[in-house]
Amino acid sequence: MPALTLAHVSKQFGHDTNQVTVLKDVNFEAEAGQVSLVIGPSGSGKSTFLTIAGGIQTPTAGEVHVQDQSLQQLEGKARDALRLNKIGFILQAYNLIPYLSVQDQFTLVDRVKPHGNLTAAQLANLLDQLGIANLTKQYPGELSGGQTQRVAIARALYQNPDIILADEPTAALDSDRVKVVGQLLHDLAKQHNKAIVVVTHDLRLQEFADKTYAIMDGRMTLA
Amino acid sequence: MFLALKEIRHEKLRYGLIVGMVVLVSYLVFVLSGLAYGLAQQNTQAIATWDAQKIAVTSDANDSLAQSLMTKQTAKKVTLTSHEAYIGQAGVVAKAKGQPKLSAQFLGINRGEFIYRKLIVTSGHKPTTARQILVDDSFKTNGYHLGDKVSLGATGGKFKIVGFTHNAKLSVAPVVYGTLGTWRTLSHVTSDFKAGGIVSNRSDFKLKTSDLKTLAMSQFINKLPGYSAQNTTFTFMIAFLMVIAMVVIAVFLYILTMQKLPNYAVLRAQGIPAKVLVTTTISQALILVVGGLVIGAALTAATVLVLPAGLPMSFNLPLLAGVTGGILLTGVLGALIPVRIILHVDPVSVIGG
Repeated sequence: MPALTLAHVSKQFGHDTNQVTVLKDVNFEAEAGQVSLVIGPSGSGKSTFLTIAGGIQTPTAGEVHVQDQSLQQLEGKARDALRLNKIGFILQAYNLIPYLSVQDQFTLVDRVKPHGNLTAAQLANLLDQLGIANLTKQYPGELSGGQTQRVAIARALYQNPDIILADEPTAALDSDRVKVVGQLLHDLAKQHNKAIVVVTHDLRLQEFADKTYAIMDGRMTLA
Repeated sequence: MFLALKEIRHEKLRYGLIVGMVVLVSYLVFVLSGLAYGLAQQNTQAIATWDAQKIAVTSDANDSLAQSLMTKQTAKKVTLTSHEAYIGQAGVVAKAKGQPKLSAQFLGINRGEFIYRKLIVTSGHKPTTARQILVDDSFKTNGYHLGDKVSLGATGGKFKIVGFTHNAKLSVAPVVYGTLGTWRTLSHVTSDFKAGGIVSNRSDFKLKTSDLKTLAMSQFINKLPGYSAQNTTFTFMIAFLMVIAMVVIAVFLYILTMQKLPNYAVLRAQGIPAKVLVTTTISQALILVVGGLVIGAALTAATVLVLPAGLPMSFNLPLLAGVTGGILLTGVLGALIPVRIILHVDPVSVIGG
């Protein structure tokens, strides 16, 4: 069973003459143990796809399933719980809380989700892999763009979700770091059996993907 | 609480300014409450020491003991028990050789009656003859001593201070206790008059004569010259201050919350329940307001230490608790205003592109 399924999903905004269709009959599957790349230019519907896949928005038509759970059947608190337990977000901007140190970003997860997170040793290993092990006492405002992005990746992985949804995770990284992040996402998918979905316009990530979807004007095709 | 404390620690200047504002508001409210209560006490301290419940004054005295003159004929219609005492009040100017003139309230009482028995002497003894007086401690702070011979007006001659008593103030003036005979002299009335009125420490005290009007002590106190006006003025000042404080604190918390919405949107996207964010906002407001109140209270205590002794400032625990609770409630109400915005924060806003 796919970890994440979107079947015939459409999303419209506005009414009547102002109506805009952002996603048109999108079909998508992400398997555990695979990296799925969704590539498209700005305005193509990538972000809307990501918010619907993550249960933040509901589609106008179609079905979204996380494993065997239909998102349409879940209400507010249940959706929050599902996001907290099953889905990790790596966001493009504002993805870290500015008044929490790097270590506190993880502590916050422990506070709201005491079980099922990475162990201290696993976290130390992850931070080491990302090259940010020495930054745990720093605040986001003291980090470079690349460091911030890597801490955000670690933050998303810390809650040990089955599915990771990443919004432009390499936007602020140089080519060397893109390779590190790409390899990390790939290893996570393979070694920890995670379903990783990356929306990006960074073609450098293609070499780490198992499947690549292209999205253009709301239509998604398997590349 | 975790998020609330972390944010306060990280944004020290921003939250320091808010705490500073709460400190100033609470300091002002505490000081004003202290002054209001102190002034109110100086109107009624003497009455409070008697534990009196009722007072009877003549019907034509407009509820004022100083204006009340009860004839012996009227007094005959009344039977007093050990719970009642005759009393007469006269405004006097006390003067002793080498000492400053002091405006005071002379209270004439009978030896052996309950007011006399209630008087607590801090030094010396209670008067035993018509030429002896017991005076408020403030005489001592103004340089008067035991044994000083004091004149209480153009007539009446000299009276010897034989004792000092604590908390003896009436209508913001120190009290001089003496006999009803002296009261008659100072009030320029003949021996046809028994006293000014009757005070009772029984709550069911009621007279059946139409010549006298029985008042509850609270009614009598409210009729003291200037008492109600002072209290109303202070009450309105404190109430307006509380309302303004509520608006200011609410505006500050609202602005702070609006600034934090992008962070809250990230947390919501990550599945952090809205309840956690609401709890954070309210607990943060409580931390700020409690912090401000504690510092404000400490500042008030420090101010009391350096204020001149004569300043009528006094504190009453229930009143302080009420004021503190009011400010605390203000903070919580301020924090509750943006709750609806937090509950509806849109995590979609942080997923761009």
